[in-house]
Amino acid sequence: MNLRTHKRALRGILVFIVFIIVLTINLVPFLWGASTSLKTARELMIYPPKFINFTMSWEHYITVLKGSFSQAAVNSIIYSIVSVVLGLICAILSGYAFARYAFKGKKTLFYLILSGIPLAMGSAAMVVPNYMLFSVLGMNNRWFTLPLIYAAYNVPMAVWIMTGGVLSVPYAIEEAAQIDGSSKWYIIFCLVPRMCLPTLACAALMIFIGAWNEYTVSSVLVNTQKLYPIQVSIYNYIGYFGREWGPLTAAATLAVIPILIVFTFLGKLLISGLTAGAIKE
Amino acid sequence: MKDIMAGRVKNTSVSRKRLRRLSKNITPYLLMSPTIILIFIFLLIPLGFAVYCSLYRCDYMQFTKFVGLNNYTDVLGDPEILMSFARTFFVSGISLVIALIAGVIVALWIHTASKRFAYALQIITLIPWVTSMVVAAMLWKWILQDEIGLLNYFLAEIGLPKVGFLTNKNIAIYTLIFVMTWRVIGYVMVQILAGLKAIPYEYEEAALIDGASGWDLFWRVRLPLVKTPLAISATIVGLSNINNLNVPLTLLAGGPGTSTMVTAIKVYRMSFTSYHFGEASALSIIMCLINFILVIFYVKEVKYEFKNA
Repeated sequence: MNLRTHKRALRGILVFIVFIIVLTINLVPFLWGASTSLKTARELMIYPPKFINFTMSWEHYITVLKGSFSQAAVNSIIYSIVSVVLGLICAILSGYAFARYAFKGKKTLFYLILSGIPLAMGSAAMVVPNYMLFSVLGMNNRWFTLPLIYAAYNVPMAVWIMTGGVLSVPYAIEEAAQIDGSSKWYIIFCLVPRMCLPTLACAALMIFIGAWNEYTVSSVLVNTQKLYPIQVSIYNYIGYFGREWGPLTAAATLAVIPILIVFTFLGKLLISGLTAGAIKE
Repeated sequence: MKDIMAGRVKNTSVSRKRLRRLSKNITPYLLMSPTIILIFIFLLIPLGFAVYCSLYRCDYMQFTKFVGLNNYTDVLGDPEILMSFARTFFVSGISLVIALIAGVIVALWIHTASKRFAYALQIITLIPWVTSMVVAAMLWKWILQDEIGLLNYFLAEIGLPKVGFLTNKNIAIYTLIFVMTWRVIGYVMVQILAGLKAIPYEYEEAALIDGASGWDLFWRVRLPLVKTPLAISATIVGLSNINNLNVPLTLLAGGPGTSTMVTAIKVYRMSFTSYHFGEASALSIIMCLINFILVIFYVKEVKYEFKNA
């Protein structure tokens, strides 16, 4: 008995140690970045670095927010919202088609969309093709290009998630609504989404994260400051501020905050979104 | 009058029925069309156009001369590009292996933990995967600085010499591997954990009753049953690593020298620094072919079944 409690205590300590290690490795860049961003420019370069007893100052945040960063943040918010709305509309429609209809070419279309999930991840291979086509079409430096690309990159995943969502809604409910005289549009855009709200939110979340974090294609398709999304703006800061880590870490912290907020409140949805492709129900 | 009315009613009802049948046939395609249009315009047509461009000499976006497959032979004959491919596979491969092993271990560990603890750990390990790569790589760059970096400070504190994580030619590539692995471990872990949770408890119980040790339980029961999530996360992580431009570009930008010049940076530089778009499209197409192999593997693994169709 005594031995067993010893063993359990030992195991508890071990688990705790591993937990601390995992925690540190995963969070240290963000915590250290946040603390750096709050130091004054002088204290930032002090060696050995100060951990707790530094004077807090918001100067770097003020520098960053006065510059082009706020414009980029607003741009990114608009781009993300547009691509989420667009992506969701496409995903609901296609998800409904996949879940409720049998039609010719369904399998081909499904494989096309399925292979779009990892294909969109291959952004380094896609950046030159996308750039060339859209510059020939005169679509670079337009406000609508980036949201459309973000939507296109993330829509395959969203369709995959929404198909599962529509399948989880019992068909009997739809039939009942149809008998009560509701139109197909009402069923597709109001009834079904309301019945699988968590799935819908999950798809929206995946599109949002993809759109907010995209850098590669945005960096070449837009080259006026007015249209920069947040990631491009941060990357350009590296060239602009060089070794001034204060403004850099402040900008980085600001860019991570929305994702962290989304994360703390919608973590469960995110996990279900990420595992949607891998697990067969 | 009545007859005419009846006739008209009958007539409209017939045409309406025909219309409905027609619309029933078209409806799914109409519903699919927005998605298909998006995918065609932004994924497939650009690829087709890139194939066309890769056959031309196309510096500064001016199509000057048809060169056939010369761009491809040029690209594949360039030792620097072949070296960049070798580097890409080296970095992606090692990162993938470490991420898979670490992901499985952490997942097995969390699997036995309490629900709330497991949830907290999942969220924490996922943060690197969902934050932007530019931001994450930049923050690591700050930690790994030579003189004023946090890590070198700790190394000095425990009496070790300072390491040029970003400036030493031989070490930089391992720094890159580290940051890329750090980013993907959480993703692998979450996939494996979801797979472990989906294993019916009876299987494990039966194995335990038959006298299986913990080791047997892992190799004979759990590992075969999480094969699909393992394969899928391996494909996704592999693709994501091979095509990762943001982390290498932000962290090291190919340097010092060309020691971390991966193919993604090479394509990017070729097109947007030296404007050789013909060769850059040829290289993009080659990268896409590598991606396609992985995509086919992915699609095969997912094994979709049409249940309610």
